[in-house]
Amino acid sequence: MTSRKRLIFSYSILAAALAVLFGCSLFWGSVNLTPGAVLDVLLSRGSDSLTENIVLQLRLPRAVMAVLLGAALSAAGYLLQTFFANPIAGPFVMGVSSGAKLAVALTMVVFLERGLLTNSVTLIFAAFVGAMAAMAFVLVVARRVERMSILVICGVMIGYICTAITDIVVAFAQDSNIVNLHNWSQGSFSGMTWGNVRAAAVVVLPALAAAFLLSKPMAAYQMGEAYAKSVGVNVRGFSVVLVLLSSLLAACVTAFAGPISFVGIAVPHLVRQLLRSAKPLYVLPGCCLGGAAFCLLCDLIARSLFAPTELSISSVTAVFGAPVVIWLLVRRGQEGRG
Amino acid sequence: MSEFICETRNLAIGYEKKRLAEEISLGARKGEILTLIGPNGAGKSTLLKTLAGQLAPLGGVVLLDEKDLSAHSGRERAQKMALMLPHTRPTELTSCFEFVSAGRTPYTGRLGILSEVDRQQVQAALALVGAEELADRDFNCISDGQRQRILLARAICQQPEVLLLDEPTSFLDVKGKIELLTILQKLAKERQVAVVVSLHELDMAQKISDFVICVSPEKVSSVMTPQQAFAPENIRTLYGLTAEQYEAVFGPEPTPKPQQDTQKPKPKFEHYIRSGQKLLRCGYTTGTCAALGAAGAARLLLTGHEPETVALRTPKGIVVEVAPLYCRKTGLGAVCAIEKDGGDDVDVTTGLPVLAEVELTPEPGVTIRGGTGVGRVTKPGLDQPVGEAAINHVPRRMIADALAAEAENAGYLGGFVVTVSIEGGEEVAKRTFNPHIGVEGGLSVLGTSGIVEPMSQQAILDTIQLEMNQAALCPQEVKRLILAPGNYGLDCLHETYPEFADIPVVKTSNFIGDTMDMAAASGFAEVLLVGHVGKLCKLAGGIMNTHSHTADCRTELFCAHAALCGAGREICTALMNAATTDACLEILDKAGLRAPVLESLLSAVQIHLDRRAAEKFKVGAVLFSNQHGPLGQTRTAEELLKKWSVN
Repeated sequence: MTSRKRLIFSYSILAAALAVLFGCSLFWGSVNLTPGAVLDVLLSRGSDSLTENIVLQLRLPRAVMAVLLGAALSAAGYLLQTFFANPIAGPFVMGVSSGAKLAVALTMVVFLERGLLTNSVTLIFAAFVGAMAAMAFVLVVARRVERMSILVICGVMIGYICTAITDIVVAFAQDSNIVNLHNWSQGSFSGMTWGNVRAAAVVVLPALAAAFLLSKPMAAYQMGEAYAKSVGVNVRGFSVVLVLLSSLLAACVTAFAGPISFVGIAVPHLVRQLLRSAKPLYVLPGCCLGGAAFCLLCDLIARSLFAPTELSISSVTAVFGAPVVIWLLVRRGQEGRG
Repeated sequence: MSEFICETRNLAIGYEKKRLAEEISLGARKGEILTLIGPNGAGKSTLLKTLAGQLAPLGGVVLLDEKDLSAHSGRERAQKMALMLPHTRPTELTSCFEFVSAGRTPYTGRLGILSEVDRQQVQAALALVGAEELADRDFNCISDGQRQRILLARAICQQPEVLLLDEPTSFLDVKGKIELLTILQKLAKERQVAVVVSLHELDMAQKISDFVICVSPEKVSSVMTPQQAFAPENIRTLYGLTAEQYEAVFGPEPTPKPQQDTQKPKPKFEHYIRSGQKLLRCGYTTGTCAALGAAGAARLLLTGHEPETVALRTPKGIVVEVAPLYCRKTGLGAVCAIEKDGGDDVDVTTGLPVLAEVELTPEPGVTIRGGTGVGRVTKPGLDQPVGEAAINHVPRRMIADALAAEAENAGYLGGFVVTVSIEGGEEVAKRTFNPHIGVEGGLSVLGTSGIVEPMSQQAILDTIQLEMNQAALCPQEVKRLILAPGNYGLDCLHETYPEFADIPVVKTSNFIGDTMDMAAASGFAEVLLVGHVGKLCKLAGGIMNTHSHTADCRTELFCAHAALCGAGREICTALMNAATTDACLEILDKAGLRAPVLESLLSAVQIHLDRRAAEKFKVGAVLFSNQHGPLGQTRTAEELLKKWSVN
């Protein structure tokens, strides 16, 4: 079904989109810069310090972060879909993102009240703990329910509970930084520093590489747990690694950009359709490219549509992502009947 | 080295909370199909999953290639053993080729990229299941039958030595089932795969299985032959069916009865039939002994190993496996002795050692000779020409088949000379009818089925009565019945008069008089007796039980009626000394007396029939012969044939 031509063509499209969007996010914004000016900055050909600041300290880290986290998010979604054998599983829907969000919010509030500053490592760790807690709950439920739709509903409910608690925490927090916290809890790529980027890269890139190395057992696992066992896959070990990786990726995204909805579902699905394949070996790299491009696009829209007011990133991703999920649900229902 | 590629020792299966079965000892050989049958929920799937290493045994071990299954790495195991489960998880955007290629997982590298060899294996697997044209189709968009084939192809391209399948025929229509099972047979026979499959279709299972295991909620049986496993009583017990339920689907129970207890050491031949309330053990014929002996001696010569047991499938379909009395090399070849076992039908030959001495010859083919204790044919009309050893054509074919099988296994291209002898046969033969029928110097090596089924007289009469009762239930305006001592004349009759197919038939065996009495009691109005001249000519003498133990008189009757028709002393003497009725007919043909003598015999037959029927019904007889075909019919028979063929 997947010809080499189609693969090359699809990857080229995704890469081209990524490049164009990356460029756009550098010179597009509340202060419009000409491509020439941006190039000057990038190539260090003497430019005014304002432009340099905007590009190097604001837009470039933000764009790189969107690329990294977009890739992480859609890969996390794809891993969860494979693990649960359900195309509408994803870190947001399963409540993993919300769990991470709650943990991060609590950590931030506790640290802020004691007058401490939270660093990236603490945040990622907190997010990971929260994500794992939510994931553990989902896994317990998964053991008890047969139907995937119920599992998803449980995930959504966990998400609501976590969000509600987060809101309460935020409402009672008393610091002036509360504004930041509020922004963060809505999800945003704003205010990324190079330090954040480095920390995220250290987590995301190895995790993506590890996920890619799992593509072979994943392909077998797609055909059922028993089958994977029968062709020699160590299913238990594989599941543990898969859950850890997806939680880690989702947690990392949440730690830096807050909960971002639907990317994890919509992107893998669109990529599969583009590639006309479900093979993890092909789809995973596609997901990374596609997720990065998708997040860049959404971020671009979020900050430029009603500039200077920034929208939360989730409002944008939801507009694009939710219809895809609805379509998937409808199609699944039809298949179930037919 | 173990003969089994996959076996269990004292295995216990089940789940943590529920132990399903214990003490399972089974083995699967390469090239054979082992079928699991039994009701739903009895544990067939659990057993298969335990064999496949998906479930840990609760006790005992599963051995794959003589090594504990859990000691294999996942990859190692997957290269030897494939499991085909019903596919439940929906796939997405996966072509059948991609789907099948998942079977290469145990062979591909870290990322699972297919090599050229892998691709060829996938293509070959698709070709084997006849699904090449499906390669590019989406797996979700093909029919159930096609899907099962693709699943099978996926298992095949894993190149397993053991293939486990869990109900592969569910959801398939008849054609799909047959196609799938045919592929399984091909895999077993051509690729020497050991196939273990659970099936619900008993009729099909019976056809393809080499061995069967019955899984009931109470226990898992040991390995049974299909004849044992599919015997009505066994099936009824296994599925908890009442006799009515069983008969509703499978028809009335035939007489053979399964053995319940199959766990005896294997060399003893255990096959039972029911006789009234008793269970009688079957035996095997001298012909089977000779063929087993030939196989044993040939194996010793070709492989150098003295066989512990030898086995063969008799023409009846029952496998006989025995341990030879001895098997050793001689000057020119090897000799193997098998003890004759008549089962509960103890006759003169029981306990005699049947010896087969085999020599190898460079030119292919099998020459069979009679040694001491085996008689020689001295009169024409028997199975073998005059001067030959009295080894009938069926045992000869069994010997040749057994030797061909041994030669094939050993890759031997030459031929064999077999000398069959029976220790003490010469002495014993004097107590048989052999000298009388034209076999001298020893016993005959006989048997058309290879199996001796013991039967007491009462048992046979009971069986006939049962058939008669069933025949009486047939809705007919005028109650008509066909009686036949055997199959031969019946086949001829049905060929000539296809419209008689609806008329009930009862087999009389030798008990023609008794059967006629039963027919009278059952209220039949018109009865036609159809059979071989060798049996029915006895009726001309009023002999209503045609078994040769009771009386013979065939040649005497021919002689007497020929004399009545004016035959001279020479012809009468020749008739008197003839071995068979066919030989008598030849003599009469030569003398030009066949028509009048037959007419005279037939009218005598009619008289005796009428006497026995005592005007309760109209009865006539139609006579056939093996060599001469239809011979004629009695007066009433002619009348009945005419009347029956009109409506």
